[in-house]
Amino acid sequence: MSKIIKIIDAFLTRFLILLMLLLVGSVLWQVISRYVFASPSSWTEEIARFLLIWISLSGAVYAFRTGMHLGLDILPKKLEGRAADLLKWFTIALVVLFSFTVLVVGGISLVMMTWELKQYSAVLGLPMSWVYSVIPAAGVLICFYALAALVDNDIGKPHDAVLSGD
Amino acid sequence: MVVLVLITTFVLLFVLGVPIAFCLGISTLATMLMTMDFMPAVTTISQRMAGGVNSFALLAIPLFILSGQLMAQGGIARRIIDFSKALIGSVPGGLAFVNVISCALFGAISGSAVAATSAIGGFMIPEMNKEGYDRDFNAAVTATASTSGLLIPPSNILIVYAVASGGVSIAALFIAGYAPGILLAVSIMVVCAVYARRHGFPAGARVPFSVLWRCTVAAVPSLFLIVLVIGGILGGIFTATEAGAIAVLYAWLLSAVFYREISLADLGQILLKSAETTAIVMFLVATSMAMSWLLAYQNIPATVAEALVDLSDNPIVILLLINLVLLMVGVFMDMTPAVLIFTPIFLPVAVELGMSPLHFGIMMVLNLCIGLCTPPVGSILFVGCAIAKTSIGKIVRPMIPMYAAMFLALMVVTYWPGFSEFLPRFFGLID
Repeated sequence: MSKIIKIIDAFLTRFLILLMLLLVGSVLWQVISRYVFASPSSWTEEIARFLLIWISLSGAVYAFRTGMHLGLDILPKKLEGRAADLLKWFTIALVVLFSFTVLVVGGISLVMMTWELKQYSAVLGLPMSWVYSVIPAAGVLICFYALAALVDNDIGKPHDAVLSGD
Repeated sequence: MVVLVLITTFVLLFVLGVPIAFCLGISTLATMLMTMDFMPAVTTISQRMAGGVNSFALLAIPLFILSGQLMAQGGIARRIIDFSKALIGSVPGGLAFVNVISCALFGAISGSAVAATSAIGGFMIPEMNKEGYDRDFNAAVTATASTSGLLIPPSNILIVYAVASGGVSIAALFIAGYAPGILLAVSIMVVCAVYARRHGFPAGARVPFSVLWRCTVAAVPSLFLIVLVIGGILGGIFTATEAGAIAVLYAWLLSAVFYREISLADLGQILLKSAETTAIVMFLVATSMAMSWLLAYQNIPATVAEALVDLSDNPIVILLLINLVLLMVGVFMDMTPAVLIFTPIFLPVAVELGMSPLHFGIMMVLNLCIGLCTPPVGSILFVGCAIAKTSIGKIVRPMIPMYAAMFLALMVVTYWPGFSEFLPRFFGLID
């Protein structure tokens, strides 16, 4: 199990870095193409918006992994022992509940709907179902990390530890 | 009834420590299931979430986060502090003023109050402690001063407001943020001056002009980022989002090529950290947008507007009520969801009273800045206390005059529209 977690960690972190680079690149290209080549490109805006959707969802998985989502931590900090564990698992269960229903089930339904309706993006003509496919994927990954926490009990691992892989 | 379920679920989950983004999502889902079947409910929420972040204006946020992260590395905080010190360090209580100015400047450049507290506070608080300034006071100054950087552009929260308000110009909001942001910093400095007098805080050594000149020259490349971004937007050279990309390029050139403080390995870390911070904000945006849609669908904004008008027909009273509600919201809720959820509710009322959406946005953000440095949620307060090695309980006393000063600034901004509007009007951004 811990091997699979490591592989997914490695994939997710590299994927996020790549998306971020592409995002900066596409908006920069928009400025450059307008001023240097005097022909503003219209596809950069669209691709950048889609990249933002992808970063938001895959980054949300990563923030769950590192325990960085913002929340009120008074109660979790006050409790100790069994009660603290119980609360932690309750929180994880709720996150999974939302991820499974809205992100996985709702996301798949959205992907199928846009696929059947043949919705394409305005400029690039990309199928919107591809763009939205990140929603169920993120949902599945959040559920995976929650499951991994059952085995490894290391959700909320600090950023650096995930990066260095130990 | 519907609203009751929404609020109860949200508050309950929030108190239990469920991450806010998920509290918003789950309470929206629970409420929708009361009137809707399961499949349409979950499909609608996921659609609203994706639609909520599918915005070119919001793209400026990851870019300013990334440029802020690049600027936050190493020497830039130090250079800003040296500059402020040469400027004002020699008056009694000088270090407190240096702290406020540095926090405001760094907050403006980095776009994050938490980053300003930890970067500037990390240097300034230990130094102030050493010079005999009161420990609790030091933490309080740093935390409150850091929020002024959220109004001074570039500002991510103003971008969020631009989206939530459905079309207030980002350029106009950015320019409008200057006067209130500076007012906030100045009002905190007034408290510092009184404190310094009463406690006999020491004055720093007077610096010769040559040192001031050298410190200014050293700080110029960092401060030029603000000039580049704001100048570019004002001059119509690029949009706020494009300005974000230019800021990233400039920050990278400055820190990696010019100062050589960031290696290629650091760059990967910074990109990942920025993606994570972006996603934390954007996932909040996504679930807030779903909840905001639900509220509109249930006709809540109109109901609230009617209730407010029923309470009083005096604009001054209604604005005060809105401010009090927002202060309470700000105490518990993070700024991003607060802006996204309460803008559609209160903005129509404010506009009805003759307030411009621009003015309302500045008022709302300044209001939420106060909530940002109140316990139990305000993360900057915890960072400030950790650096100053004190506790939340102890800094409440020095915080009280700070709150009073901030509230006074809020009242000025609320009841004097021209204060926020004169700069954007001067630059022809509004009529």
